[in-house]
Amino acid sequence: MPIIMIFYYVICVFLAGMLIWNFIREKQNKEDMLLYLIVLIPVVLRIFRIR
Amino acid sequence: MTLQIGIILVVMAVAYALAQWKTLSVEFCLLSSAVAGGLTGAFFNAPPITQLARHLVEGTFTYLDVILVFTTATIFMTIVSESGGVNYVVRGIIKYFYNLRIIVLFLLMFIILIPGALTGAGSVSVLTVGAPVALALGYLGIPKKKVAAILFIVAGLSAAAPPVNIWAMIVSAGTAIPYVGFELPLGIPVLLLGTFTVLLLGWKREKKMSIEDVLKDMPQVPEKMCWWRVLLPFLTFFGLVVAYRIWPFDIPILGLPLEFAIAAVVAFVVSPKKINILVLSRVTVKRLLPLLATMAIVGSLQQVMTATGVRGLLSYAVISIPVVLLFILLVFIIPISEGVLTYGGAAIVGIPLIWFLDSIGLHATVAIAGLSLLWPLGDGLPPTALIGRLSVMVSEYKGSYWSFLKATWLPWIVITLVGILMVIFSARLEFLVKWSM
Amino acid sequence: MSREWILKSIYIVIIMFVIIVSGIQFYNHRHYDVPIPAGPGVTGVVKLSDYNKNLKGTIADTNVFFMEGKEAGGKVLIFANTHSNEPAAILTALIFIENAVVNKGTLIIIPQFNNSGGRNTKPGDGYPLYFEIPTEWGAKKFRMGNRNASPLDQWPDPDVYVHYPDRQLLSYLDVRNTNRTWPGRAKGPLMERVTYAAMELMKREKVDIAVDIHGAETMFPVTNCIVVPEKAMRIATMTSLMVKAMEGFENHVEPSPKGFRGLSHREIGDFSDTMPFLLEAPLPFLDQPTGPKTVDLLLKGKDPFLLSLSKQKKLFVPYDESGWPMEKRVGQHCSVILEILRQFSRRASDRAVAVGNVPRYAEVVKNGVGFYYHDPEKAKKENIYYN
Repeated sequence: MPIIMIFYYVICVFLAGMLIWNFIREKQNKEDMLLYLIVLIPVVLRIFRIR
Repeated sequence: MTLQIGIILVVMAVAYALAQWKTLSVEFCLLSSAVAGGLTGAFFNAPPITQLARHLVEGTFTYLDVILVFTTATIFMTIVSESGGVNYVVRGIIKYFYNLRIIVLFLLMFIILIPGALTGAGSVSVLTVGAPVALALGYLGIPKKKVAAILFIVAGLSAAAPPVNIWAMIVSAGTAIPYVGFELPLGIPVLLLGTFTVLLLGWKREKKMSIEDVLKDMPQVPEKMCWWRVLLPFLTFFGLVVAYRIWPFDIPILGLPLEFAIAAVVAFVVSPKKINILVLSRVTVKRLLPLLATMAIVGSLQQVMTATGVRGLLSYAVISIPVVLLFILLVFIIPISEGVLTYGGAAIVGIPLIWFLDSIGLHATVAIAGLSLLWPLGDGLPPTALIGRLSVMVSEYKGSYWSFLKATWLPWIVITLVGILMVIFSARLEFLVKWSM
Repeated sequence: MSREWILKSIYIVIIMFVIIVSGIQFYNHRHYDVPIPAGPGVTGVVKLSDYNKNLKGTIADTNVFFMEGKEAGGKVLIFANTHSNEPAAILTALIFIENAVVNKGTLIIIPQFNNSGGRNTKPGDGYPLYFEIPTEWGAKKFRMGNRNASPLDQWPDPDVYVHYPDRQLLSYLDVRNTNRTWPGRAKGPLMERVTYAAMELMKREKVDIAVDIHGAETMFPVTNCIVVPEKAMRIATMTSLMVKAMEGFENHVEPSPKGFRGLSHREIGDFSDTMPFLLEAPLPFLDQPTGPKTVDLLLKGKDPFLLSLSKQKKLFVPYDESGWPMEKRVGQHCSVILEILRQFSRRASDRAVAVGNVPRYAEVVKNGVGFYYHDPEKAKKENIYYN
């Protein structure tokens, strides 16, 4: 895999981490909880090289 | 089939309205609409129920790269801001140009135009230079509502400006028209309309303060902050963007997210203030959540609309309108298509429209340029309202979104008129294309 | 467990379910191989990476079928699925690979030119993942691919694609579009390597004619036509006249625009001695104003909105209740290719290419496309290739 593509997977992992961290910290806003997970969907499938 | 698609469209609209009635967020309204549309479509086996989850998920990939751009660009700008860089720049502009209003307004307009012109994304303009420009405009005595309006209109124009205009590129690619000869048909109206906008909304000084008071009122910058610490991260970013243009065959393709990420690392390293990068990033992602979620869900909505035929029905309705009525309705159709589908509007409405306009003797390149002045206006319209929401966010305007949008009415109408006249008189404006080549 | 975590757990279960269900479908689509039984005319199968080692081991590497005649003659390259969402191309290529008998000269066929694009889906466009062609022995299943390569194989896109070598600015998406990356570079982005390899193939094998098979919207002016540069204009014009006169279908000639870079019909002509021909057949599935994007629309090409627009004279091809079925599109491609070969052979007898056992338009329309495909179960294992 080219080095630049690897950097993109690193960016995706970083974004996924931030989304999960926010999801865990979110106590009140029920809508935001689900929105974090929705944004996570394409990021996770890309990280696992499925799509 | 029209009845079937009509039913799906009605169900989608009802689902949206119900979600809004339940005071759910825009993102949830869009999600409800997409899921309801998909389930109703599945009832007619279009798409099959076994494919519904796949369609919803596949749609979220439509703007994955845009999500990465938003995230990395905003983290980059937040680091610059946290380090005191933004305040440092604004202080400099105010100090040297406070009494030269025309020059300072022109200067600020160019600062907003450049990132969007280079990347084709008005959002990049707002995310990178929006905050310092908004602060500077504020200290020039322009109220926040008008600051947000200036940012929105000029950032929209920056996306339409050459060399990179993504709407024109999408339509050109779809209609097999070379993406050449756009420099003057896009450049001239963008500069004229941008100048008109900043002068119209920014000329009047509504709060008068002496320069000494302004400088005293401005937030202090960290002691070690200096010009190179501010400039280096921006030079890194624009350097990487420009380097690919100058040496496209000698350097690898980095892409905007990585270019912003590299610039963010530089900003972090040269910051005179210690920054907790992880906490800053988490807070930034939290702040960006409505935008990121909108991008993911709009993609799903688009996918469901296509799989069910709703998108086709809307496209068919536009193409079937008689020519004279079409020119009148373009005023609404183009921005609304952008507001609902972002760049998808250019593909769905723009491509068949240009084929049609070409076939009635209009000049395709000028017509595309004219339409692409209208598309960015849609970035202020819900449900997505991408640039509009970002402009409100960075200018820290606390009033209602509609009151901000109302402040843009005059530039909006002038831009619309110019765009439509360019389409109607495109054949006569052909010389602009020739002079560009 | 707190109320907060009960809700979070419910959300996690829903999202996990959606990810797993769709993830399995995406994975299976990307890894599904179409079996291609080599017909009697196939004399060898190599890889495209044999012409550019920088493709080796990548998903962009693809099969190249050689069909050499007993008698020496000219060479013709046919490549399909440059855009994998225009599937009449691969269906035509497979009819040649499974049936053609080459009497003179050589046919070289690449059935899945953009192999990464063939394993990609198009976000936002609601395509089905597969389609099936009925045959006498059952249904033959194909992947529905995308116009562009998958970002899993070439990522990131630039903010704008600067075309090599002309520096023309193209849409950022076109960096993954193998009909914009011609003539390509040996070590450029993956799709440029693909087109570079094809250019090398044409140069090393001294290919006389290259045929790039496509499909285009009925609302697109450049549809139902042969797109050619100046040097291929005479053969294309004669082909167009002949198929109209002898077989009764329209297929006009479009000149390749000089100012639009990166396309096969432009760059192959400019950067090699080969004469390029790009074939377009109408593909209603790709039109924007259509009903649901179903397999039925893909195969039959029937749509009420297009029918209405046809009555308003807004389409660039004749369109009636019968639509544009796949047999018609594939039949047109077969006849046009055979006619190009005939016209070329008449002009350059020393480089003639004679091909038999390939059906023409009327036969494909009558028998259906699947009639010409052979059961992979009954073929010898060593004769089956996967793409």
